[in-house]
Amino acid sequence: MKAWAITTTNIKRLVRDPSTIFFVFVFPMLLILVLGASFGGGFTPKVGVHVAGDGVYAQGFADQIDANEEFESIDYSDSGALLEDVERGIVQMGVIIPANYDDTLASGGTATVEYVGRLDQSSVQYRASIEAVATDQSAVFGAARIVEGEGLADFDSAVTAAQLVASGPGGSEVVVSTTGEALFGDIGQFDLGAPSNLILFVFLTSLAGSAALIQTRRLGVSRRMVSTPTSIGQILLGETGGRFAVAMIQGLFIMVGSAVAFDVKWGNLLGAGVLLVLIALIGAGAGMLMGALFDNDEQAGSMGVFIGLGLAALGGAMFPLEVFPDTMVKVAHITPHAWAIDGFAELIRHGGTLASIATEVLVLMGFAVVLLVLGTWRLRAKLTH
Amino acid sequence: MNVLECEGLAKAFDELVAVDDVGFHIAAGETYGLLGPNGAGKTTTISMISGILESDAGKVTVAGKEITTRTTDGNAEIGYVPQDIAIYPDLTARENLRFFGKLYGIPKASLGPRVDEVLEVIGLSDRGDDRTEEYSGGMKRRLNIGIGLLHEPSLLILDEPTVGVDPQSRNSILESVELLGQSGTAVLYTTHYMEEAERLCDRVAIIDGGKIRAEGTRRELVELVGQRDTINLGVIGSAYRLVEALESMPEIHKITAADASVEILVDGASSVLPRILEVAQQSEVGVSGVEVVEPNLESVFLHLTGKALRD
Ligand SMILES: Nc1ncnc2c1ncn2[C@@H]1O[C@H](COP(=O)(O)OP(=O)(O)OP(=O)(O)O)[C@@H](O)[C@H]1O
Ligand SMILES: [Mg+2]
Repeated sequence: MKAWAITTTNIKRLVRDPSTIFFVFVFPMLLILVLGASFGGGFTPKVGVHVAGDGVYAQGFADQIDANEEFESIDYSDSGALLEDVERGIVQMGVIIPANYDDTLASGGTATVEYVGRLDQSSVQYRASIEAVATDQSAVFGAARIVEGEGLADFDSAVTAAQLVASGPGGSEVVVSTTGEALFGDIGQFDLGAPSNLILFVFLTSLAGSAALIQTRRLGVSRRMVSTPTSIGQILLGETGGRFAVAMIQGLFIMVGSAVAFDVKWGNLLGAGVLLVLIALIGAGAGMLMGALFDNDEQAGSMGVFIGLGLAALGGAMFPLEVFPDTMVKVAHITPHAWAIDGFAELIRHGGTLASIATEVLVLMGFAVVLLVLGTWRLRAKLTH
Repeated sequence: MNVLECEGLAKAFDELVAVDDVGFHIAAGETYGLLGPNGAGKTTTISMISGILESDAGKVTVAGKEITTRTTDGNAEIGYVPQDIAIYPDLTARENLRFFGKLYGIPKASLGPRVDEVLEVIGLSDRGDDRTEEYSGGMKRRLNIGIGLLHEPSLLILDEPTVGVDPQSRNSILESVELLGQSGTAVLYTTHYMEEAERLCDRVAIIDGGKIRAEGTRRELVELVGQRDTINLGVIGSAYRLVEALESMPEIHKITAADASVEILVDGASSVLPRILEVAQQSEVGVSGVEVVEPNLESVFLHLTGKALRD
């Protein structure tokens, strides 16, 4: 089919251009990586631990933090360096175990462990985990002190015995589960950034890609196509197919690439696939429309980036819709971005299926139809007048 | 049989009438020239004939099939070579040819060999796999033409194919067009180079301001405007004696003498020249040189439109 020849030529031209390769494939993945690493919720926080003395119990406290999978623990020999690193965010928190820790415990006093965190929300969360360690230790030392008080053993052997009991079975344990919706969900660090990036970049590429279409027109290649025994319908189909294919290739690359490289869960595959196809169709339609409305490819390229970023910011593809005020959330939904993000959020966070994103799918279909019709209509006029 | 027939073609861009009631026909093997200055309406006419521009009025048939922007049947008979180079710069010549070959509907099996053939004809065989953005202007022009030849059309339309081309490439382009004409292809050739029209075209239409001002063979056009041949003689002896002796000849329309030369305006220089030389001998006037200037399309154009072909 002749439309197919036009579509494949579009793809061939795309993959031949090193700068598009970078912007279409490398850049989005880099951004997902960078954004995920700096803002993602589930990465392993680092705790710096400074043990001031050389007591066995102090070291035991440090070892228990080290054993906690939630954290990566780093030993600091200097408390000043630790404080500085907390302040600079190199470690998320610091724990300082004082020199008199063992002695205080042995003499029956209350030993203080210093916790240093920054004034943000996650710091509170981490503190709870450190406090749990302290509580564990207190239980052991409390039990040991009772044994010692009864004159059954000296403090040190009582501690050893109590530790054995604590690590064995029995006792009570609090199992934590949550209800309701957390602001940033209990999901992988890249899971939310990836769909936003997918939408942002597929649109950006589609809009900026209208430059290729304008170039084809300006070179007279489009008119030349019209002069061949190829119907205008086929030419429009081929060009739309080209835009669509480019958007699909990029979207699939981001989906599969982020799943493989960053373990992003896209939720229900059918649902995610339908959303991707619709995003690509809308991108293709928008690209066709831009390609018909503009006559200057450089202008269209930069306008494409401008509009693409603007729509992404407005539609919640740059900052999560949750932080938007209510009216802005409504405004955001004039963009296809917001609807697509809603769809992905439903799939990823709530285990939604195609049925549960029916509204989003229908709205996106509407966007696709309107843009494709407008785009092909304007382009048809441009080709023969 | 006429390969191309068009009549009553008209096109206006808003207020500006670009083409006004243009019609002509081209037979198989005939090369037809549209000669006119910038903005005469050549490209607009050709665009309507190729089915890439909607006309306001008129009708085009190629090989008996009607052509509009909505038809595709007849387009297979046309090889359209646009004035501006219309190729993908980031594809190779071979890829460009294959792409348009597919659009022309060349069967898959014969596409490869045909592309090789065309590369050979346009002299790009050894550069066929280089991207066209690395080509010289002349090479791009040749590829531009090659694309129009791919499907061996009955009508080849060339819109100023030699603009911006070095003399060597230009000559090879003109030779190819002559060969195509001889092989039976009807060629529609637009140019504002009078020499190209004279060399290539069996018939020429003079177009200006969107209208065809005159049409015919070169001879017909020249006669139409009553242009005559000029004979310039270099003389030894008295030019005035020669003028006196020649004045009585009826074929001579005008004769003017200078110191050592005589300019004579005649109908049909070839038949009159021997008699003039005879008279010169009888009058004992020596002839040191003879130059015959036939009127050209340039002068026809000037006569018809009151302006020069190139401004
Ligand atoms: N798309 C267009 N929109 C508006 N005016 C146009 C358009 N195309 C051509 N014209 C005008 O129509 C007239 C004829 O243009 P055309 O291109 O047919 O001339 P031409 O004979 O091919 O000239 P040239 O030798 O410069 O190529 C010109 O005055 C031109 O400005
Ligand atoms: Mg022109």
